[in-house]
Amino acid sequence: MSTITGQAAGPSAARAVQKKPNIVSRIIKHRADYLYVLPALIVMLVVIAFPIYYTIELSFFRTPPNLQMKDKIWTGLSNYSLVLNSSVFHEVTIQTIIWTLASTVFSFLLGLGAALSLHREFVGRGVLRALLLIPYVISAVAASYVWKWLYHSDFGVIGAISVALGFTDEPINFLDNRQTVLASLIVVNIWKEFSFAMVMLMAGLQTVPDQLHRAAMVDGANTWDRFWHVTFPHLKGVSMVTILLLMVANFNSFIIPFVMTGGGPADASHIWITHIYQLAFGRQQWGAASAYAVILFVVMMTLGYFYVKALTRGDETRQGA
Amino acid sequence: MTDTTATRIRPVVKKPVDWWRWAGRVFLTFLLLFTVLPMAWMILTSVKSQFAAMQYPPQWWPAEPTLNNYFKLLDPTQRIGQDFLRYFWNSFYVSLLTTILGVVVAVPAAYAFSRFRFPGRNFMFFAVLVRNMFPAVVFLMPLFLLMRWMGLVNTHGSLILTYLTFGLPLSIWLLKGFYDNIPIQLEQAARIDGATRLQAFLLIVMPLSTPGIIATSIFSFIGAWNEYVYAYTFLSRDDQMTLPVGIQRFFTEFATDWPGLMAATFLMSVPVVVMFLVLQKYFVRALTEGAVKH
Repeated sequence: MSTITGQAAGPSAARAVQKKPNIVSRIIKHRADYLYVLPALIVMLVVIAFPIYYTIELSFFRTPPNLQMKDKIWTGLSNYSLVLNSSVFHEVTIQTIIWTLASTVFSFLLGLGAALSLHREFVGRGVLRALLLIPYVISAVAASYVWKWLYHSDFGVIGAISVALGFTDEPINFLDNRQTVLASLIVVNIWKEFSFAMVMLMAGLQTVPDQLHRAAMVDGANTWDRFWHVTFPHLKGVSMVTILLLMVANFNSFIIPFVMTGGGPADASHIWITHIYQLAFGRQQWGAASAYAVILFVVMMTLGYFYVKALTRGDETRQGA
Repeated sequence: MTDTTATRIRPVVKKPVDWWRWAGRVFLTFLLLFTVLPMAWMILTSVKSQFAAMQYPPQWWPAEPTLNNYFKLLDPTQRIGQDFLRYFWNSFYVSLLTTILGVVVAVPAAYAFSRFRFPGRNFMFFAVLVRNMFPAVVFLMPLFLLMRWMGLVNTHGSLILTYLTFGLPLSIWLLKGFYDNIPIQLEQAARIDGATRLQAFLLIVMPLSTPGIIATSIFSFIGAWNEYVYAYTFLSRDDQMTLPVGIQRFFTEFATDWPGLMAATFLMSVPVVVMFLVLQKYFVRALTEGAVKH
């Protein structure tokens, strides 16, 4: 797609490049162009710029619990130190890292395996791909309820199967146990999203030229060599984007932990997002929650920088900046 | 592919077992079970009675399958049915409006990003993309206050407005990809023939970008249909709720009716799954567009 951008720049680009007049006259000259973006811009300003500004402002105040924001009290950076120094924050941070990394790595690996296995043409391939994608399409709320029932401590089918197969003597209480809860939720998350990685990588595999494979085969390369030296280098770009998108999505996930456990037992399945939500809407500590959110902003901006960079590889959009 | 043709031409040569291929098959079987079994168990549970579901060890296959749970949910004469159908309608209505408005706003913006070079274009484009990065929860507190100030709390307007923005970045990005692939010469030809810029856009570019519009529409619709966090926070009136929030309210009031809940999750998933299966081609294209160079 990016290859055409330069050509598509068309007459208005040519005009802009001729000489660099000052910014105001350029804006005036292009005023008609802004009409196209205006609706999107207004919506974005109202729903994005304002909340970001307001979150930053609130993070410096102590707010009364009843949401009467005019009674807020300036407290400087104390919200930040409150958040950063609390022991729950450290625990939740570790859980967030485990949740994000484990979900991303396993989803990616399952997706890669599936993409490679599905790359060859065979009967039922399309059906199989569609079936594997269903969890990605259905709502996370539905997924959470289904898995909550599968994990049920008394009547859950997973517990019953592990007893029937002799793994345990009695059904395991997956969700009410500090040791197992996070891993159990990660499984649900992987179930939900591995097929995203699969679809991305399948599309990536189609860009690998067939001739290269044949050439490698003529040269006597075995399957592993062909994967490592031919397929894999071609997948690097897609893999980067996929991993970044998965990381962002996992870092931001909320529904699965919130619906399935609400962060419990004893905060063992909280991640940053659910914790912020609990601080704000559960304990009404809006200031502290805002400070927390600002910290999250900073982390996300760092990830976002790499995301945009990976997404616009070679795109001329950077040139004019 | 090359393997099979080779064996067909020279059937005498006995090929060694391709272990990688077998590994692939085993792996796919495992993945299929991992994916399908939870869904199968959801459906099996939904046709059990409450009594049959609460047994240990579980009935692997329902002894007396019943569709009662579904009848109850779809029966407009009962309280449960009324609520469920209302949630269903609310979800549908909000998702549809979000989708339509999303297309109306995203199409011109994407076109502009693809065709024009105006000052601030890059900044805006990145701002739009970066929106993708932020979690709903971060925007939740200020948006809640904003909606309260605008008097939109407990209305579907608050949801549609928010859903619009988190759908927009992706829609704009996808549509820009489609417009980039439509040669500008087509428009120039139309302009030379006397069409205005708007006419060229409506008559030449729009029809060619239909696949893109379908793809983005599916995304907005599914996104809005499945959304939970905002709906959970903005709506507290029972008759306004959308499905993901509604079914939760509804089944935790008394002891959880698992078969009923499974039936509700099944019904809730049907529209998006059907939509996905019918328009799969567009969906997959939308998902991968932008990350994979064509």
